[in-house]
Amino acid sequence: MESLYGILHGLAVAIQPTHLLYTLIGVFIGTMISHLPGIGPSAGIALLIPVTFGMDPITALMMLTGIYYGCMYGGAVTAILLNAPGDAAAVMTVLDGYPMARKGRAAAALAIAGVSSFIAGMIGVTCLSFVAVPLAAVALHFGPTEYFALIFFALSTVGALNGNSIAKGMMAVFMGLGLATIGIDLQSGVPRFTMGLAQLQDRVSFLVVVVGLFAIAEVSRMVEGTLGGTLHSVKVEGKLWFTKKEWKRARPAIFRGTAVGFLCGAAPGLGGTLAAMLSYVLEKKISKHPEEFGHGAVEGIAAPEAATNADTCGAFVHLLALGVPGSGATAVIMGAFIMYGIQPGPMLFHTQPDLVWGLIASMYIGNIMLLVLNLPLVGILSKILYVPPGILLCLILGIASAGVYSFNNDVFDLYLALGFGVVGFLFRKLDVPKAPLLFGLILGHTLEQSFRQALTISNGDPTVFVRSPIAAGLLLCALIMTGASIWSKRRPVKDLQLAEARIAEQRLAEQHLAEQRLAEHRH
Amino acid sequence: MKSLKGDAQLAIGVIVLAAVYLYMDMRLPEVRLSDPLGPRAFPALVGVGLIVSALLLLLERRHKLRINPLAETPPAVDEPGTNPGKSTRHSPLVLVGMVAWTALYYVCFDRVGYLIATTVFLLGLLTYFNRNRHKTNIAVALGFTLVFDLLFSLVLGVPMPAGLLSI
Repeated sequence: MESLYGILHGLAVAIQPTHLLYTLIGVFIGTMISHLPGIGPSAGIALLIPVTFGMDPITALMMLTGIYYGCMYGGAVTAILLNAPGDAAAVMTVLDGYPMARKGRAAAALAIAGVSSFIAGMIGVTCLSFVAVPLAAVALHFGPTEYFALIFFALSTVGALNGNSIAKGMMAVFMGLGLATIGIDLQSGVPRFTMGLAQLQDRVSFLVVVVGLFAIAEVSRMVEGTLGGTLHSVKVEGKLWFTKKEWKRARPAIFRGTAVGFLCGAAPGLGGTLAAMLSYVLEKKISKHPEEFGHGAVEGIAAPEAATNADTCGAFVHLLALGVPGSGATAVIMGAFIMYGIQPGPMLFHTQPDLVWGLIASMYIGNIMLLVLNLPLVGILSKILYVPPGILLCLILGIASAGVYSFNNDVFDLYLALGFGVVGFLFRKLDVPKAPLLFGLILGHTLEQSFRQALTISNGDPTVFVRSPIAAGLLLCALIMTGASIWSKRRPVKDLQLAEARIAEQRLAEQHLAEQRLAEHRH
Repeated sequence: MKSLKGDAQLAIGVIVLAAVYLYMDMRLPEVRLSDPLGPRAFPALVGVGLIVSALLLLLERRHKLRINPLAETPPAVDEPGTNPGKSTRHSPLVLVGMVAWTALYYVCFDRVGYLIATTVFLLGLLTYFNRNRHKTNIAVALGFTLVFDLLFSLVLGVPMPAGLLSI
């Protein structure tokens, strides 16, 4: 009942003209960003955080959240038209979306993806509204011991489940934790690892790290893409709707994808890619026509798209209820919360009901906006695919630089962002996942404080972490999750490998084609 | 670089980084007020964690090498589909040039001012990445700089450095 009142209260907040306008701007920008291959939601949100300075926090967070689910919504567009997923989660959509587009059914594939995302988004937000409140009520009983265990659990799952190597995931988490220790230690007043630089005393700015690591580093990918000349798209043609037969096949897949996606989102660290993959595998397993998968099966688009969008809502459950982000993009949004002086967590429902319920209600409105924007305008919106990548990458660098400078009006932040851009490039080349570093950076401070407070309360007795049943349970879960991921990584999932191999194969073929064209042009 | 050789280099790099981090941690003053741990304990755990993860990466690499001993061998240049194009081969140089150009832009950011520095910076990049479209490039560079200067100064209340234009 509390949730129902909350949603109604939130709707009253979300339908205020300013909030409606910024939600619309957010979802529109999110859709546009999702059409740019390589620029995922984390980089998109990071680039636009500085633009929200000076705004009311509710309005700003509605816009940033709108960018997030707008990105997830539109990630399928590049997957279907370009054979390049707009974000990692759309990788499974490539398997059937691109073949369907090549058959001249690009518009129908986009419509299926749009409707699946809408249904999953609406169901996902409803589940979020009803799950977050009881979870927050439980979390209100958490002390430093339980918080330490909770963050430890979140970091261990993120470290273990992101990327192809557990060691690299762990490495990124510890690097993030190391970055979080830079600055003045609040309990003792000792400056740590500042190297005598006054700018580092107030800790490393989250915005600088995130813009460098995600936005500036992504420019390097675009440079390689531009020089390689591998970006070729399929035009949106044909009837912009799907047939009755296709809808009949897609409908159950959407609901199954939504359930899988929400559950994956509600577990920290699993992420949209795994949700999309699991839903795809499930559909293929139970389908009467498994041979059609990989050749344009409609369920192969509907299920992963629904899962990805439901996962987005699931990821907000623990961000709002526990103050622990569930994905890289929610980690960036959590950083934005902190920048506005708002600590996400169980108290948020009591101290900031306008914000939390307004944000949830804005997701309902945003989803409707996305459907209205995407279905009739997809042909026009996809024109952004034809903006020369050479111009795009220059503009991204320009936006990133202006945004980072505006945060503190200090050039030092620009150097730092460029440094993190180089780190992000190396991470990509060495296949080290970036999201765990961000998790470590954002949660590191709370993890250390909880750890030290728990030991202070227990007079330095480390058994305090196993005496609390909740903490012991969470630490046990962390161990099980890590063990399970070690076991599962011994046998990489066939379908995900297939998707990645097909994208790589297609790109290689296109690169050859580009080289041939270049050679012919020269002759 | 996504090879097992790269993994070994990464592991060694991280061990060196962790050693430097732990050395700096050891040099921190030991302050224990009501806190039984002090400011050094948590970073020490992080440093050890970094070393453990690097060792784990070396173990993973060994395991992969045992499964596929050829994994470390770089692909032959004449193998179909592995011969990088001229432009792809040149991309590391282009990237280094871009980093240097961006660093120069940041050096001039405060001194020369946002408007001039950003226009020149963007124009330089656009001239390389969007060749032979001079009118478009000038319009994009000038338009972007003016819009962002107005957005930050007037709408968001964050003035960008005026530099030479303040004289």
